[in-house]
Amino acid sequence: MSRKPYQPPMPASWWLKHPAYRFYMLREATVLPLLFFIGSLLYGLYALGQGEASWLQYQAWLQQPWVLALNGLALLASLFHAWTFFVLFPQVMPLRLGSRTLPAWLMVSAQWAGVLLVILALWWLLGGLDAHQ
Amino acid sequence: MPTTEIRLQRYRPEQDNAPHWQDFRVEYDDSTSVLDALEQIKAEQDSSVSYRWSCRMAICGSCGVMVDGVPKLGCKTFLRDYPKGLTLAPLSHFPIEKDLIVDMSRFLAHLSAIKPYLIAEAAPKGKPYRQTPAQLARYKQFSNCINCGLCYSACPQFGLKPDFLGPAAIALAHRYNLDSRDQGKSERMAQLNSDNGVWGCTFVGYCSTVCPKGVDPAAAVNQGKIASTLDGVIQWFKPGKETSK
Amino acid sequence: MRINKQPPPQTTPRRSDEPIWWSLFSAGGVCVAMLVPAIALLVLLGIPLGLVSAEQLSYQRLHALVFHPLGLGVVLAVIVLPLFHAMHRIHHGLHDLQLAHGRLAKWLCYGSAVLLSSLALSLWLTSG
Repeated sequence: MSRKPYQPPMPASWWLKHPAYRFYMLREATVLPLLFFIGSLLYGLYALGQGEASWLQYQAWLQQPWVLALNGLALLASLFHAWTFFVLFPQVMPLRLGSRTLPAWLMVSAQWAGVLLVILALWWLLGGLDAHQ
Repeated sequence: MPTTEIRLQRYRPEQDNAPHWQDFRVEYDDSTSVLDALEQIKAEQDSSVSYRWSCRMAICGSCGVMVDGVPKLGCKTFLRDYPKGLTLAPLSHFPIEKDLIVDMSRFLAHLSAIKPYLIAEAAPKGKPYRQTPAQLARYKQFSNCINCGLCYSACPQFGLKPDFLGPAAIALAHRYNLDSRDQGKSERMAQLNSDNGVWGCTFVGYCSTVCPKGVDPAAAVNQGKIASTLDGVIQWFKPGKETSK
Repeated sequence: MRINKQPPPQTTPRRSDEPIWWSLFSAGGVCVAMLVPAIALLVLLGIPLGLVSAEQLSYQRLHALVFHPLGLGVVLAVIVLPLFHAMHRIHHGLHDLQLAHGRLAKWLCYGSAVLLSSLALSLWLTSG
């Protein structure tokens, strides 16, 4: 008896069909606002190198509502990326102490503590504390 | 007994050129599984409905189907959880042979390619292989795979690129690579190192969600990426060995 | 007749070059997760919204901070590695959406990461 298998097609819209796939695509899409963030930094690096006038121009550019909105989106995207990335870490690199694996929640919270620490360190470096003195 | 609606995807290779849907009404109670419902349909309504099954207790891995678009074992899924009815379709990404039966030969070829068995010198006569609980703990969770193929239906990369070795095969390769008694890692790494090995994965992670046995293939594949990277670095420093292509 | 029969891969398949791109992607992913929230919050939003002290953020002080020798590490961590992170995901995303795959897409993706990274490094080196 001959066979006639049917190969179902894989449409480009496959990722719309299930919440897990939409979540995956959202995670991958965090790099789009990230690219704008990188562009902003590149522009800032250029402006800083060009002199004070150019830097003031850059500050004015940062203040435009659409730039603020996109960089706000980049902040949210980086936090969402961090959330997904931190959860994957114990899966990809389980840390072992003897025959025990470090609990995932510990590794995830340690990474969030790192993010908080970086924010505080940068705030200190940029003189955020002195503002109130 | 209450009844519910089941939309079943039919494909009869003798008559059909593409699948279509057929509705059935089945009786169910709290203990009726999807597999029970299929048996009811086949016995009482349409004897031509085809599906695979064997053990009815989530061990054999034969009765995988898409329930409302989610890969599940028919014997482990209950109608009581779908009061509004449900749709049943064959496992995604595999060629459909008939109704709910798919051709899994591609998965089986990938499975055999990674040599999912112990490769080791024979143990000394009359002596067992010894393994400590800590050595067992390293790979134990990856050894519960029953080869049901649900993770392949969950994996869009396998759907996009059928040559991708896929979650279960890579998880089993990883399981034997982690086994203290095994010496076959170098034979498996060549498969894992390729574009269709661990590098075909983008960590969608859905394979681990759907696994009916609690295996975490996404972890195995991505631990495999680290192993493959290290393997590449070692080969890079030992250029003489790479010539065995 | 076995229509779907495909020979099991008997010969040794070619080693993928993904370890290079994946390592850069992963390192970039760590940097994005750890550093980008702070910089987005305190610099790109913090300066225009006044979240950080204006006096301390004088042009001279910022210039000294960024073009300090350690600033090169910052450029690597917040521009170069995140670029490779982003272009790696875009490369795979193009494949996922069936828009493009193969050599050209790969060259374009990682090529633009290399190009923009060189731009960042040359900006830092020439302005310092």
